[in-house]
Amino acid sequence: MKFEIEARVRRATGFALDATIACEAVALGLVGPSGSGKSTLLDVVAGVEPGGRILLDREDVSALPMHRRRIGYVVQDALLFPHLSVRANLLYSPHASGLGDVPASLDIHTLLDRMPRHLSGGERRRVALARAILSRPRLLLLDEPFAGLDEARRREAMWLLARLRAQTRLPMIVVSHVAEEIVGLTDYAVRLEDGRVAASGPSTSVLRAGETGMDNYLVGTVVGEQRVRVDGVDLAAVLPPGASGDVRLACYGRDVILAREKPAAISARNCVETTVRSVERTGTLAMVELGAPKMRAVITSQAADALALEAGAPVVAIIKATAIAYLGGTR
Amino acid sequence: MNSIWLSITVGLAATLGSLPVAVAVAWFLERTRSGLRDLVQTVVMLPLVLPPVVTGYLLLKLFSPIGPVGRALSSLGTPVAFHWMGAVVAAGVVGLPLFVLMTAQAMKAIDPRYEIVSGSLGASRWRTFWRVTLPLTWPGILSGAVIAFARGLGEFGATIILAGRIPGETQTIPLEIYAELDAPGGERRILGLIVASVAIGTACVLASRALDRWYRRRLEIER
Repeated sequence: MKFEIEARVRRATGFALDATIACEAVALGLVGPSGSGKSTLLDVVAGVEPGGRILLDREDVSALPMHRRRIGYVVQDALLFPHLSVRANLLYSPHASGLGDVPASLDIHTLLDRMPRHLSGGERRRVALARAILSRPRLLLLDEPFAGLDEARRREAMWLLARLRAQTRLPMIVVSHVAEEIVGLTDYAVRLEDGRVAASGPSTSVLRAGETGMDNYLVGTVVGEQRVRVDGVDLAAVLPPGASGDVRLACYGRDVILAREKPAAISARNCVETTVRSVERTGTLAMVELGAPKMRAVITSQAADALALEAGAPVVAIIKATAIAYLGGTR
Repeated sequence: MNSIWLSITVGLAATLGSLPVAVAVAWFLERTRSGLRDLVQTVVMLPLVLPPVVTGYLLLKLFSPIGPVGRALSSLGTPVAFHWMGAVVAAGVVGLPLFVLMTAQAMKAIDPRYEIVSGSLGASRWRTFWRVTLPLTWPGILSGAVIAFARGLGEFGATIILAGRIPGETQTIPLEIYAELDAPGGERRILGLIVASVAIGTACVLASRALDRWYRRRLEIER
């Protein structure tokens, strides 16, 4: 699904959400610290809260009332209707035409005649998820879908959801604090901080960019489709549509592979011929500083010895485009 | 004893009649962001704070055969002033503030996100009201109805002004007690009415509490 989201919300408390997201993804992940605006963004997309322009596959849904948007919203604590049985909850939506194999695929087919108060936390969430899927939405919003479940149940539920996602190809936006959920369920992710987009890109790279200890922060200029010039070298990176001008990128030192010769056929988009500026061994690891682009590669001391790396040596730096996270413009 | 059954009939009719009004007003106060909420709330609460005699007087101005509403109703064959219907209107109006307050309280206790979820599942506001808001609020509404019924049962000032004291038609329990207190030997005759009043009032409070507990269980509110 092609997502074009502009969310602008201003609260009396001083909190302001001002986020623009444009990407094409099956599942979009939202990460960021508490209070960064993730849930507010979901509210805007769902139509609970006004203040945005939402285009889904180029169709503007901003003016539609919530019940006409066909966007399923699974909120944090499931919120099954307490006066209805599981079956009545599942068939609540006017768009639900039958249960089909959804209850079985989420392993709730034995609970249909129970009341919500007799369900466990994990069961409630699976019922809420099934209820949303049965309303046949065009997009599913999941706010911390597995928060508060124990580890085994969380994994189980995530596995079921991942399988369902693969079966139905139902587009979704997932908010989660758990890296594994974002990597496992989404292909593109956006990091929000203080109501603004702090990073966006392939889920794996965005997640890592948020962790501390990122070795390489780069500033470059977009020079073409998915290409950024950094220190005079063109690098392939996964950029959001419309990215242009000066941009910030980040990459882990451990994601940089060094070679003596340029490999012939390789999936990695970046094989940069450069030189070693310095090598610093710290026990088992070696920090190899490269000339251009100015980057650090973290390899084992053994590998540094095997390649006979020393200052001034020519070397090929191999970096996957997906290992380079887009952190936004330079502002 | 006639006045006991009359009181109960009047109270039931008043409660049934004010039920849709109470639910609609409570929903309007709790679930909209209209700028008219303060005005509506003030008007609905007035009978709670005005002297009942004043309420009765205002109702009489409204419902008398020459009043704006009364004229229309008379032409439809439904006289209100000095008629059984007058006792019903008086009881309903003085019971309405408590009815609205308790219904609004019950609606406030429902997590508004149930309604959001309902909307996201494709249900319109109207469908959401009937399928989610109303069923979840029912016990609270009934609990408010019981209290409004009890309040209407005891209405004196507004009733005597709007409906007068017509034995068998508008002479409810409090009106009969008032009349008997002036009559020789009346104090002995009203003993039954006093006992009935206390019994009905107690039953109403107990019923309201039981409904409240049921309601909390239903919403899974721990207490």
